[in-house]
Amino acid sequence: MTVTQRPLAVAVDNVSKRFGRVDVVAGLSFDVRAGEVLGFLGPNGAGKTTMMRMILDIIRPDAGRIEVFGAAPGLEQQHRVGYLPEERGLYRDVTALDTLTYFGALKGLSGSEARRRGERLLRELGLGDALHKKAGELSRGMHQKVQVIATVLHVPDLLILDEPFSGLDPVNAQLLRQLVLDQRERGAAVVMSTHDMNEAQALCDRILLIDRGRRLIFGGVADVQRAFSSGAVDVRGERLPSNLGALRSVADAVGADGSVRYLLRPGANATDLFRELAASGADVSRFEVATPTLNEIFIRAVAGDERAALVQ
Amino acid sequence: MNGRRRSFLRLMSVVARRDYLRTVRRRGFLIGTLLLPAAIAGFTLLSALFNPALQPSPPPAEVTVANESTVALIVPTGVQLRQMSRQEGLAAMESGQAGELYLIPASYPATAAIQRLTPGGRSPSIEDLQRWSGQEQVLSAVLRLSLLADAELPPPVVERLLAPYQISTVGTDGETPTPGFEAGFLLPYVFTLLFVFSIFITSGYLLQSVTEEKESRVVEIVLSSVPSQPLMAGKIVGLGAAGLTQVLIWVATALAALPFMSERMPALRGLSIDPIVFVLALAFFVSGYLAYGAIFAAIGALAPGTREAQQYSGFFGFFAVIPMIFAGVFFADPGSPIVTVLSLIPLTAPAAMLQLLAVLPEPPWPLVIASLTSVTVFAVLAAIAASRVFRATLLLYGVRPSLGRIVGAITARG
Repeated sequence: MTVTQRPLAVAVDNVSKRFGRVDVVAGLSFDVRAGEVLGFLGPNGAGKTTMMRMILDIIRPDAGRIEVFGAAPGLEQQHRVGYLPEERGLYRDVTALDTLTYFGALKGLSGSEARRRGERLLRELGLGDALHKKAGELSRGMHQKVQVIATVLHVPDLLILDEPFSGLDPVNAQLLRQLVLDQRERGAAVVMSTHDMNEAQALCDRILLIDRGRRLIFGGVADVQRAFSSGAVDVRGERLPSNLGALRSVADAVGADGSVRYLLRPGANATDLFRELAASGADVSRFEVATPTLNEIFIRAVAGDERAALVQ
Repeated sequence: MNGRRRSFLRLMSVVARRDYLRTVRRRGFLIGTLLLPAAIAGFTLLSALFNPALQPSPPPAEVTVANESTVALIVPTGVQLRQMSRQEGLAAMESGQAGELYLIPASYPATAAIQRLTPGGRSPSIEDLQRWSGQEQVLSAVLRLSLLADAELPPPVVERLLAPYQISTVGTDGETPTPGFEAGFLLPYVFTLLFVFSIFITSGYLLQSVTEEKESRVVEIVLSSVPSQPLMAGKIVGLGAAGLTQVLIWVATALAALPFMSERMPALRGLSIDPIVFVLALAFFVSGYLAYGAIFAAIGALAPGTREAQQYSGFFGFFAVIPMIFAGVFFADPGSPIVTVLSLIPLTAPAAMLQLLAVLPEPPWPLVIASLTSVTVFAVLAAIAASRVFRATLLLYGVRPSLGRIVGAITARG
């Protein structure tokens, strides 16, 4: 089953939100499906957190429609969602277990069930000694683990993670990475905003890149990379032409003897270059269309690369 | 009951239960709650320790007098007054048998002047001053009796002049005597002040709860699970119940201590709290708390930090103090237009009505109903507005929202 055949977890249709005179979200549309991880990317102030809060029904859109599991966001939907906000904390004078019990109860679990699950997860993550310690007595790393547990305690069908890797130590970052994969594996949908493009590349099935509340890119990671890859080709070999005049498809070349990255002119493609290299008598041992990283795509898209429109 | 309402009530009860238990288990709450009973117990103990009836009587004052006037001194039984000549008195002082000598000169009947002769070369000590005070009372009683006898008045007249009256108060129905000022006004007034303070203490819990969740960055997780209305409703109910618990403990302690205290303080013997007044006081406590609680919750959401929240709430606290500034008017003229106006303005009504109930023998029912309606309607509107402000501004960390945004949030639909 492909991603697009899976049931919809979130459908956002032409949603806008304005604060004062600023359009924080402007006509945004996208969807998230069960069992996929959607990377929600964008520069600071792009409107990611506002969009997430609208999905969570913390704030309401001015226009457009949001559906979570086929209905408008509300109490029933909130119980099926786990949220890890960017600005997160714990009650300082309350024990980790009591905090988890409270959060679980708010998500619809009975008090005893929330307590039982909280205790089990705390022990599983090595926090058995911290069960009855107040949050003020826990280390930052322990805090982070408790917050992650609070997000998944009620086994949500949709996880919304706002900058989840921000401030995490390597151990907790790995824990969170595994948690995201596990949640996807069991069929939960995950929406994850991040500035860490390596994490996005490693974890996400699709990405949504927005800037100033508008959608720039939305598609599968591989599709997006393919769309942005036509601009460069890495070539290794001998007698590679140094005179660019012989290669009409090339705008520029970077590299030295034996290994060159050719930047293609608009409209040219890798096949054109391959033909021209063969005609020039070059002995090509490796010919690879350069795949841009998500980081490169992010920078180019936000800078206004017209190819962003191609993958919308 | 539909599912939506059931979910609302369930979430509200989860928040209320949790905030109630968390508050009543706090050290500050326990100290605050036990402070009043401890103060009453301490007061009872101290009053027992210093009760004149239980104190060992000081030795009767001994007075040495040299009477050179024509007034014949009559010394009642039990009064220690030694009469001697000026020389004998001075000798007694010299030998230490007398600390001082009271000289009643020949001119006394005309001038009323008496001299107290003391050993030269030293200033009076506190002991001397205390002894002199006792001696003056003895001398005064002896001279008054002697002068009256000298005027040859009949003994019953002398007796009446010395003890002119024995007062008692009887109601027109011939029944219970009216209590004195302490029991009739002061203590009910203190009781109502307790309720007014409780409104603020309880609203303060609400303010603290909201600002704490905001500052500790927990609020966004909470709001992702509970809509703002049941969250705020749960907080108001839970913390209001905590405040009510505190008030009831205070009232129960005061009522339990009353029999013991009235033994020590006769003024308290006529004190009783009318059950209707008590129920009305509770009603004004609840409605007043809801009104101030809604405002304080909105302040907690609006303020960038705890310090600012306390400053803003202090401004609203001034409204509750206004009726106390006019306490004299409430006592002297409960029908005054000032009293009526203060009883009808929602933010001053709880304190005003609690004061009025303490002053009047019967609740002024039309005013009570109008006042209670005013506060309740205001509380409901304030709660709706506060919940909208709460939702719109709670996630603005460290930012002061613009007035336009606040007004926009209050007037927004849905």
